[in-house]
Amino acid sequence: MARRIAIVEDEAAIRENYADVLRKQGYEVQTFSNRKEAMASFDLRLPNLAIIDIGLENEIDGGFTLCQALRSMSDTLPIIFLTARDNDFDTVSGLRMGADDYLTKDISLPHLSARIAALFRRQDVLDQPTSPENLLQRDKLTLDIGRLTVQWDGIPVPLTVTEFWMVHALVKFPGHVKSRQVLMQESKIFVDGSTITSHVKRIRKKFIQVDETFDCIETVYGMGYRWNTQPSASASEA
Amino acid sequence: MTRFVKNPFGIRFKLVLMSSFLLVIPVLGYQYILEMEEYLRRGQEQIVLGTARALATALNERPELFDEGSYGPARESEDLYVYPVFNPLSLDDSTLVDWQDYQRYELSYGKDDAIGTELNPQSPFARYYHYDESLNFKLLAGEFNRSLYAYLKVVDDHVVYRSPDSLSIHRSDFLQISLMTREREFKRYVISPRGPEFLYAYEVGEDLSNIASLSHEERISGQWYEVPGGYEVELRLPLSMLGDKLGFAIYDVDDEEKRNVKSVVATSDVNAPDLLGSMRRPTPEIDRIVEGMGHNNSRIQVIDRAGRILLSVGDIQTATGLALTEQPEEQSSNKYWRYIEDKFLLPLYYQILTKPSNDFIDDLYAGGTAEGAHIDAALAGESMTQFRTIDNTQTRILEAAHPILDDGAILGAVVVDQNMNGIRTFRNQALETLFHTMLGVMLLISIGLFAFASRISSRIRNLRNQAENIIDDSGRLKSSIVASRSSDELGDLSRSFSDIVERLTQYTNYLENMSSRLSHELRTPVTVVRSSLENLGMVSQGKEAEVYIERAEEGIRRLNLILTNMSEATRLEQMLQTSEKENIDLAQVIGGCVEGYKLAYPESEIVTDITGPVRVAGVPEYIAQLMDKLIANAVEFSFDNKPITVSCHAAKDQAVVQVKNYGPYLPAEMKGRLFDSMISVRPQEKQKQPHLGIGLHIARLVTEFHQGTIRAENLTDEEGVAVTLTIPLLQP
Repeated sequence: MARRIAIVEDEAAIRENYADVLRKQGYEVQTFSNRKEAMASFDLRLPNLAIIDIGLENEIDGGFTLCQALRSMSDTLPIIFLTARDNDFDTVSGLRMGADDYLTKDISLPHLSARIAALFRRQDVLDQPTSPENLLQRDKLTLDIGRLTVQWDGIPVPLTVTEFWMVHALVKFPGHVKSRQVLMQESKIFVDGSTITSHVKRIRKKFIQVDETFDCIETVYGMGYRWNTQPSASASEA
Repeated sequence: MTRFVKNPFGIRFKLVLMSSFLLVIPVLGYQYILEMEEYLRRGQEQIVLGTARALATALNERPELFDEGSYGPARESEDLYVYPVFNPLSLDDSTLVDWQDYQRYELSYGKDDAIGTELNPQSPFARYYHYDESLNFKLLAGEFNRSLYAYLKVVDDHVVYRSPDSLSIHRSDFLQISLMTREREFKRYVISPRGPEFLYAYEVGEDLSNIASLSHEERISGQWYEVPGGYEVELRLPLSMLGDKLGFAIYDVDDEEKRNVKSVVATSDVNAPDLLGSMRRPTPEIDRIVEGMGHNNSRIQVIDRAGRILLSVGDIQTATGLALTEQPEEQSSNKYWRYIEDKFLLPLYYQILTKPSNDFIDDLYAGGTAEGAHIDAALAGESMTQFRTIDNTQTRILEAAHPILDDGAILGAVVVDQNMNGIRTFRNQALETLFHTMLGVMLLISIGLFAFASRISSRIRNLRNQAENIIDDSGRLKSSIVASRSSDELGDLSRSFSDIVERLTQYTNYLENMSSRLSHELRTPVTVVRSSLENLGMVSQGKEAEVYIERAEEGIRRLNLILTNMSEATRLEQMLQTSEKENIDLAQVIGGCVEGYKLAYPESEIVTDITGPVRVAGVPEYIAQLMDKLIANAVEFSFDNKPITVSCHAAKDQAVVQVKNYGPYLPAEMKGRLFDSMISVRPQEKQKQPHLGIGLHIARLVTEFHQGTIRAENLTDEEGVAVTLTIPLLQP
């Protein structure tokens, strides 16, 4: 049975372009141009994944409202914000409302489908036991590449797919400096440097919520970031 | 920018200058008071002339008063003529000089006037037989200040005085004065000196030789002194002693042994009350009439046809016309004020005012006759007034003369004189008050105007300072004007400025957010194009089509990059608002950055000159972002094979970071605006990548977030540019 994806987007051309691509990949796609239509359909039946724009026709924040409603209906339904708004404030609000990812419209279609696939895979493998070959262990950090989940000292850290890939890129070769450009490529997004900075900040915060002493991600000014296996490595090494 | 030379005359100065027009007011006041004075003067003139006319009218048609016969110096008579004297006479000066011209009226008495007495019994006719040339005298009597003055010049070849031990008075040369009192009592007085001395008069009884009947009369005073060929007696007795008859007699003793009276020369028979000569005061009638006019603060004179003064009442020194009541001294008023008034104000005023003095001498009237144009006119039948200034005392005298007529003939004239000191004093008092008031008012107005002008100019300066502060050196709006709430024109100006700035701010904001909004709006159509292209790519179209699709996708990517850059500044501004600064070592951050740049720009040589630690409050990510932009710029504009120098050190209380590169100079017109949004100085051919001039704008945003300054300057030693960033150091 094909997975059903709901696209809520008021710009018809974009909506249909995305829908076409996803249909070609074998998904069943529902398209809606405003929140009312979408909610009417969702009340009948929930999709397997929702891609939502924030500004919907005359509702500036219609996407946020929709996201909240969906999340209240289902805790596990993957929700992706796909929007032209690239500022920090909207990103944080979107993720805080329970979205699994926040993408700007710069993202290319292959990247988008990769993310959708990743989200579905993460959902699929949730029930299955973890296969050891998919695990990446660094001190207290455990990365499950198959499930796209992260644990710190045995406690799960709720990272979005984008954030997971960033951490993954850093952790693969601890001690190596990863430039923002590299992180961008690894996490399959295309944004400017300051967006990467704010992503890294969010990742740090999420880890610190789990462990207050966390400081494995070091900023190397002018170059990028690196993962330190030895905590509190002196910054002067840079 | 042209700077005008600062005008040294500010509003304050101009207003105070304008206020000097107020000086017209005291001038007008001065003029007014002068007019007043003139008016009063004319009034006084009329009054004086009126007085003269009234008197003249009273004296009209009474020719007997001016009868030549009753008053003449040469008339043989037993009567005595008493002349009015107008200057004080001194009794103790042993000379008759003070009688001056009056001496020409003196009368001579000689052998014809010899009489027989009990002391030289002989018949009245005996004088013709016993003629003795050796004795005669000249007599003049005058009236001054309610007293009778008289002198006798006696020619006597042997002056015999009373012997020192003699009590009797009749055995020497002596003077007898006989008079009839107002009570019609006949009195005789004898002056019989023991030598030249002050007079000591005795009243005698029936018999001169009776020593017991002598009594001292102190009201008679005077002096007896010797002159070559005789002696002179000058005496005074009050008019109150006198009735209407008076006589003088000189008794002459020539033989010191026998001491018998040899001859007696007298003005009349001094021993017979009935035969005693009359005392003829010249103008008792006129006197009464004039007295009837009362004292009216004038000197009144009646003159006859020849200009001789028949009568003079009053004193020119006190004849001020206006009766001024002396103002009581205000001792209670502020003594400081009095001090200022006396020390500064009054001396200043009297630089222009003249203070008349009552201490003057009217020379013109010293003699017995009066003259002047007004008198000439009056004697010619015309009444006239004139002013005369007495030299050296600034006193002006008003003189009026009116003819006295009798049946068309002119008998004489009434002359009324007043000095003008009354009006002058009055004027001066008025002017003093005026000047006081004016000075006060002008001082008050000047201070008021000055304060007002100061307030205005301070408000204008305040507005100017605010206006100058609106825009910084690079032309960016940095603050707004606080609209004044006052309702006047300046408040209006301030409000309209504020309004302008408000609108300008909105417009500037609009422009600055333009790129961000534009990128946001463009993103949707770009997405449409790109997703369409990607879809197209997925539907395989053959080799040929793929090339074009690829080119189109490349174009879209660049377009995307532009859009991202365009909104970078806005995103940064939003993030800066929520960022918190931490204590960082700037040297370390810069050092780390430079390490990164060495990797990022392997073809450029980057030299560092960093001395740390340099502790500042800041956000390292943003500083790194700032450095990114500076280095990117430096690399781009650097000449080949020239190093880029990055230095960082602490100087005083500032952290100084400098990025130097050798490359083309900054275009002069861009200097101030280099750090503004959308400003790019790149030449067109260098644009390999899209540039929107956002980089240095971001650098400035970060600098401002750190309360620092950033500036770009051309190097002086070699062609190149240095960008200097200063951030305040963290206070330890």
